[in-house]
Amino acid sequence: MMTTEITRPERTTTAGRWYLDRAGLDDLVAALAADGRTVIGPTVADGAIVYDEIRASADMPHGVGDVQVAGRYRLTKRDDARVFGYVVGPTSWKRWVFPPTIELNTGRRAGHRVEFAPIRPRPERLAFIGVRACEIAAFGVQDRVLDAGPFRDADYAARRASAFIVAVQCTTAETTCFCTSMGTGPEVESGFDLALTELDEGFLLDVGSPAGQQLVEGPLAKAIRPATPVEVYTAAADVAATRARIGDPLPTAGLHDRLLAQLDNPRWAQIAERCITCGNCTLACPTCFCTSVVQKTDMEGIGATNERSWDSCFSPGFARVAGGSFRSRPRDRYRQWLTHKFGTWWDQFGTAGCVGCGRCITWCPVGIDVREELMAIAPPIALSPEPTRVEPVAASFDDFVVAQVVATRLETADTVTLTLSGADPAFSKGSLGQFAMVSIPGFPPLPISISRFTVDGIELTIRGAGPATRAMCALKVGDQLGLRGPLGNNWPIDRAVGRDLVIVTGGIGLAPLRPVIHALAADRRRFGDVRLYYGARTPADILYREEMERWASRGGIEVHLTVDRAGPEWEGRVGVVTQLFDQAQWEGANAIAFVCGPERMMQATANTLAGRGVTTSRIYVTLERHMECGIGLCGHCQMGRFFVCRDGPVFSLEQLGDTFGREGI
Amino acid sequence: MGDTAALVAALNATWFGSGLPPDAQTRLADMGRLETYPTGTELLTEGEVCEEVGVVIAGRMALRTLVPERGMVTILTIEPGDIWGWSAIVPPYRGTSTVVTIEPVTSVVFEGAALRIALREDPHLAQVLYPRILVAVSRRLAASRLQLLDLFARDATGGS
Repeated sequence: MMTTEITRPERTTTAGRWYLDRAGLDDLVAALAADGRTVIGPTVADGAIVYDEIRASADMPHGVGDVQVAGRYRLTKRDDARVFGYVVGPTSWKRWVFPPTIELNTGRRAGHRVEFAPIRPRPERLAFIGVRACEIAAFGVQDRVLDAGPFRDADYAARRASAFIVAVQCTTAETTCFCTSMGTGPEVESGFDLALTELDEGFLLDVGSPAGQQLVEGPLAKAIRPATPVEVYTAAADVAATRARIGDPLPTAGLHDRLLAQLDNPRWAQIAERCITCGNCTLACPTCFCTSVVQKTDMEGIGATNERSWDSCFSPGFARVAGGSFRSRPRDRYRQWLTHKFGTWWDQFGTAGCVGCGRCITWCPVGIDVREELMAIAPPIALSPEPTRVEPVAASFDDFVVAQVVATRLETADTVTLTLSGADPAFSKGSLGQFAMVSIPGFPPLPISISRFTVDGIELTIRGAGPATRAMCALKVGDQLGLRGPLGNNWPIDRAVGRDLVIVTGGIGLAPLRPVIHALAADRRRFGDVRLYYGARTPADILYREEMERWASRGGIEVHLTVDRAGPEWEGRVGVVTQLFDQAQWEGANAIAFVCGPERMMQATANTLAGRGVTTSRIYVTLERHMECGIGLCGHCQMGRFFVCRDGPVFSLEQLGDTFGREGI
Repeated sequence: MGDTAALVAALNATWFGSGLPPDAQTRLADMGRLETYPTGTELLTEGEVCEEVGVVIAGRMALRTLVPERGMVTILTIEPGDIWGWSAIVPPYRGTSTVVTIEPVTSVVFEGAALRIALREDPHLAQVLYPRILVAVSRRLAASRLQLLDLFARDATGGS
C-alpha cells in the first residue's frame, strides 16, 4: 500500500491556545447550558457510546475505550480516566440536526375545501460536545445536500445553525476508521467553535469561532490557563500518531470513475448473498439523508399530520412505483448505496457521500466492509506514478525548480527526449497526461507534456519547432532547466477500466499518451482491447519506434501505424490516421477513446469514432493553446468556459460541446 | 475465371462487397476473376488508360505519383476492402496514380469495359454498386484533403 505524504501546517504556537483540566469539563457543560442550550455529548448506554443529552461531565464516559471490527463492537475499560478514549459509536449528530422523525405539517378536509398548515421548526439551541473530524465533515456533506439550495430543508438549517460545536481531536483509532483516505480527518481543522485534544489530565483547548472566543473570555476564563509548549506538542503528536495508525486503507484517487464503470461487476451479486438489506449502514451513516413521509390520520379520516422519518435505499419499497420497484433485488440496492456514496454523490454534490467514520462497517450485522468491497470491485490501477494527485511545485509566476538532464535520446531528426532528474519529487508522482512549464533563461517558458514518469524524475519529449524548443532539444547531459508543475489534469484512465480503449494520436501527440500506454501495459488485464492508432508525417517522424514494437509484442496492445507521405521504400500504410480504423471490425459501444494531435486531426478522428458508436462523453481530446503561466492566471489559454492549463488540457467532447473545432474560439 | 462461389465469398469478406443482394453478387462474380500479384507488381500507371478495376481481398498496395525532384512518392496505401482502378469506370478512364503492390496481393478484378456495359444495362446493379463506389472514392478524397493540410509539418507557424 502506498503511503500518503501529506504534510500539514502544524500549529505549534501556544498563543491563543489554552489548557482545561478534566474537572473544567463541567464548567464547559454548565456554560453551554447557561447559554440556553441543550447539551448533547457522549454517554454510555446499552453497551455502546451513544450521543445523548448530558447535564454534567459525570454523564460522559470516563475511562471507557472501544474495540471495533467489521460486524463487532464492544466497550472496554481503559487504564486511565479519559473522557474521549474511544471513537464513534452507533449514533451520530445527524440524530440531532436531522432527527429520525419530525412533523412537517397538518392537512384537513373541510367539505369541499382542503387546508394545510405547516408545523414550523422550533429551533432548539443545541451544543454538541465531542464532535470528531469525520463528523464535522459529515455536517459539511449534509449542508451540501440539505442546505445549499436551490431548495433548502428549513428544519435542518435551523437546527444546524443553532448548534455550538465542541470538537475533539482523535487520539485513538479503530480498525474501521478510514478518515485519512476520505480526506476528512483525523485532524479537526475548521467548522468548530471550540476544539479539545485530550491529554492525560485535561485538554488542550483551541478556539475556532467568535462564539467560542466569547466562552473562553467569559464563563470559561477561570477554568483555563495558557497551554504550555509541552502540552501543545503532545497534543499534536498524539493526533499525528492516530493518522499513522489509520494509514490509507482505501486509495480513493479515481475511485469515482472506476466504480461507475463497474455496474455489471459480478461482485454485486456476491455481496447480495451476504447483505440482508437491513439498512443498518444507512441509519448509522452520518450523511445518509433519505426519508419518507407518512400521514397519520385522525379517527374521522379527514385530518392528517405528515411525519417525515428516516428511510433507507435498502428498504424494498424505497424505489417502488405502481408498476413495481426499480431496485427489487438486494444487489440493486447495495449497488445503489455504494455507487452513490463513492461515485454519483460527487456528481450531485461535489463531494463523496462518505466521510470514513467506519460506522457502516462496525454495525453491519454480517460484517460487510465497504473498503474491502470497493477494493474488490474497483481497485486502483497499478501504475508506476502514484495515482494520488500531487500538489504542483513552483506554482507561481516567479518560481521554477531546477532539474538536470541525465540522458538525451534523439527520437527523430527534430525531436528529442530529455530524461530529467533531481527535480522535486512531485514530478515523478504526476498524473498521466500532465505537463510541466519548462524554462531556459532567455526563452519564454513553454508547456511540455510529461512523456514518462521515472523513479526520481520525468522525461520530456520535445520537438524543436521554434527557438525555445530548439534550445531545449540542444541541451546536453548535465545541463539544467527550470520546471513548474506537474500541471493540468489527466487522462481518465480509471474510466477505461473494463472497457476497450482506442488511442488515436499523431505526431508529437504521442508524447502525453506514452505514460498512459505504460500504465495500461502494467495492468493490462484490467482493460478490454487496447488499440493504438498513430499517424506521423513520414516514416522518419515516427516516435518511440522500438518501444512501440514492445507495446505490441509484450504489452498486449494492437499498434497500427500510418504516415502521411512516404517514399517507395516504406511498406507500411500511407494515409490519414482515421483510415486506420474507419472500416475496422470493432464496435465502439463499449469503448473509450483518448485522442491527441493537431486539432483538425482530432476533429476528423472524433467524427470517425462517433460513427463507430463511441459516445461523445467517452471521447477525450487534449487541447493545445498558448500558455504562459500554466496555472490559470495569465488568461492566454482561455477556450470557451475553460482555461486549458488549469481545467484541461484533457477534455471530453461532451464538455467542449460545440466549441470544439469551431473557428476562432 | 475462378469459380463463382469463391468469388462471392471473397467479396463478401470485404466492406465493399458484403451485403450486396445475391443477384448483384452473382452478376459481379460472373464478370470477375480472382488474381494474386507478387510484391512489386505495377497494376496501373498514372495517366495511362485504366482497363481494370479491382477490390483488394488481402495485402497492401501503394498509390504513387511522380513528384519532380522527389521521385515516386506514396500518397496513399490501400487495404482489403478498398477498390483500385476506379478510373476504369469513370471518364476519361485514365489512372490518377500509379498502383503498385507492396505486399503479395489478392484481388477480385473486373474488366473495366465489361463492368461499364453492365452498369449501363443493368439499373439494378448500378443502383447497388454506385453508392459503394461513391463511398470508396469519397473516403479517398477526404483522406487526401487531410493529408494535403500537412498537419504535422515542421514549419508550423507559431512554434516557440
